[in-house]
Amino acid sequence: MIATLRYEFLMQIRRPIMWIVYGLTYITLVAVFWPAYRTLSFTDDGGHDPKLAMLTSAKLIMVLLPIVYGCLIADRLIRDRRLGVATIMDASPADPFGRLTGKYLGVCAATAVPIALAFFGRAVVYAMTEGKVEALAWSVAVFPTAVLPGLAFLGALALAGPLLMPPLPFRVLFVAYWFWGNLIPADMMPTLSHTIFAASNEYVAYGLFGQTFEGLAYGPWPDAALNALRPVASPAVAVLWMGVMVALTIAILLITRLHAARSES
Amino acid sequence: MRIQISQLTKTYKGGVHALKGIDLDVPTGMYGLLGSNGAGKTTLMRTLAGLLRPTSGTVRLGGHDITTQDGRLAVQRALGYLPQDLGVYPDLTARRFLDYIALLKGIDGRSDRRRRIGELLEVVALGEHADRRLKGYSGGMLRRVGIAQALLNNPRLLIVDEPTTGLDPEERIRFRTLLSHLAGDRTVLLSTHIVEDVAQTCQSLAVLARGRLVFQGHVGELVARAYRQVWTVTTSGTAPSTGRIVAALPHGAGMRYRVVAPVPPAPAAEPAEPTLEDGYLALMEAAPPA
Amino acid sequence: MKPLDLWAHELRRTGPAALAGPPALVLLMALLSMFGAWLGSRESTTAFMLAGALEMAMPLITGMAAASSLGRDHAVELQLTLPVSYRSTVLRRLAVMAGWTGLCAAAGSAVLTLGGWWALVPGAPSGLAVQLVWLAPALWLAALGLLASAAFGSAVAATTTVAFVWITEQVATETLQSVPASRLFYLFATMRGTVPGDWTANRVVLLCTAVPLIAAAWPLLGRPERILGGEKE
Repeated sequence: MIATLRYEFLMQIRRPIMWIVYGLTYITLVAVFWPAYRTLSFTDDGGHDPKLAMLTSAKLIMVLLPIVYGCLIADRLIRDRRLGVATIMDASPADPFGRLTGKYLGVCAATAVPIALAFFGRAVVYAMTEGKVEALAWSVAVFPTAVLPGLAFLGALALAGPLLMPPLPFRVLFVAYWFWGNLIPADMMPTLSHTIFAASNEYVAYGLFGQTFEGLAYGPWPDAALNALRPVASPAVAVLWMGVMVALTIAILLITRLHAARSES
Repeated sequence: MRIQISQLTKTYKGGVHALKGIDLDVPTGMYGLLGSNGAGKTTLMRTLAGLLRPTSGTVRLGGHDITTQDGRLAVQRALGYLPQDLGVYPDLTARRFLDYIALLKGIDGRSDRRRRIGELLEVVALGEHADRRLKGYSGGMLRRVGIAQALLNNPRLLIVDEPTTGLDPEERIRFRTLLSHLAGDRTVLLSTHIVEDVAQTCQSLAVLARGRLVFQGHVGELVARAYRQVWTVTTSGTAPSTGRIVAALPHGAGMRYRVVAPVPPAPAAEPAEPTLEDGYLALMEAAPPA
Repeated sequence: MKPLDLWAHELRRTGPAALAGPPALVLLMALLSMFGAWLGSRESTTAFMLAGALEMAMPLITGMAAASSLGRDHAVELQLTLPVSYRSTVLRRLAVMAGWTGLCAAAGSAVLTLGGWWALVPGAPSGLAVQLVWLAPALWLAALGLLASAAFGSAVAATTTVAFVWITEQVATETLQSVPASRLFYLFATMRGTVPGDWTANRVVLLCTAVPLIAAAWPLLGRPERILGGEKE
């Protein structure tokens, strides 16, 4: 598993196209979210609270960059088949699930590196410009709790999806899913957006880090369907969301392994 | 179609020098291009087929300069090309695949296409399997489909890149024979790292090593390079340490080695008749490093 | 003019994955139009979703398909040695895909017209102009997809670019509409609204700017070495 992880990580991280696409999208992200990205605040307080600033930074990168992350992962498993590597791998003595896990971790870790660089880079800039070193500590707390669980789930989804359908429709559906299931307002139509099943929501910000907005609780939306999946934010719900993301990730990887085993037999 | 190459170099992005000042003249008929993996054969084949642009030098095929748009088009009209990794459309039958390529080669008339495809399927002995999807074809059958598509436009120049790699012995012999029959009044450039393929089909050949042309001439001249350099050594002791061992066969209680070396590799070494493979190895031993 | 047989082959090469999307979307639209009320959807919501499918989903499918033009061809090395330029083959496939999408989109717009749904979409055009609802963004995203595909030599990078632009236009509506220059390039001016009087200009600008995008892709598609060296899917 470790060997596969290392190999897949290096294969993906050395892919120039990944850095080019992330670079272009990062520039666009900064441009369209200016000045919020400059102040790290959606309000007029100017983002002077380092904790809130890091939460805002996480929210901003989790709006657009996961699309790049998912699309870049979506060709990794089918690539093995195309290059004829899959047969060689299947003949190796390595445990298939361990290999799949190594592949998943390696590819996802490499593809998440630019996101981490964007996030922690912004934290460093914030710490220097605002003179608040504690922002770095908050960034270390925010990234693994508010960003990584969502990326873990999306990575598994993007890796496994193209095994079930051709890459083109998968990518279209992935974009549609990201928009419908994570970005649209919850009261627009029945959606997973803002539920504990959404890869990008604010349960960690409101539940774990105590963010507030005009005294309103984060959770159920007035007149929205599926509010049963939107409990009021609390530390327990934030942890539940992380658990749901991890559980979904494991479930997808297990299904992928079962699917592969069926294809082999 | 005569191929004239002068001072051809090809440097890829990142500074990899794949071809270094190649001068080569290929006449009509069957012509072999030998070289180990990574010698630059595929780069040369792709350059001749108009896929790669030379970094410098001139390439003229049938008088057409391949580096110009018009020249490349003129050459591609007269070209049949079988790439090393022939990609096909697995959802198509051989007949439909050939029909598509024929259309792209400008054979617009439906009856002309049908007739030509029928003829070629017989030439490559695939008539019986013509309506099976390509995804079910063996490697050898796919190569034959590849040759059939290359011949659709009755090309004056046929470039085949490593056509027998991975084929079983029977398929290889069948393929070689087919290529020899096709030569006639056209130029067939056979690129391979399998010496036997050239030995059985070509009168003339060139040898590439690390991007340089290290030999061009008749097969006999290359064989002559190993003259008085091939030895057999029968021993029950250790293998000869000088020269290149070409073959090692158990012989009684010991081993019989065939060795290419400029001097007898052992006191009991007996001279042997050289083959093309010996000539090739002798040449490679003598070739200067990159 | 190439024989019809060649177009039939290109239709097949475009691939079921690219061709199935538009009719599937129209089928969903028809079902939603017929059974939306039965499913509990308000009329205005149904109208919004139907028009959204036309202006948002159809262009996304088209753009992603165009972005996958290169890198999917198993026989690309062979194709590049043929006397017919590969560029024209790619454009023929793109034309097949665009034509098919256009037919499906026209059928989708007929669903809206027949059901009287356009009347429920604020700011929706009338007459033939309704075809610009899908045509302008679809053509622009297809042109962007083709250019990205030719520039990056990678279907992954090109589809990611199209996906990113599409999502950005969705989430940054206010920012993009606040500046006149970006407002004219805004893809979803029907559904997400625009400044009164700007709708037609927006559609014309999208259609016109698709042309230079394709023109920029043109020379890149004419370089066999570049296409051969691209990432395969």
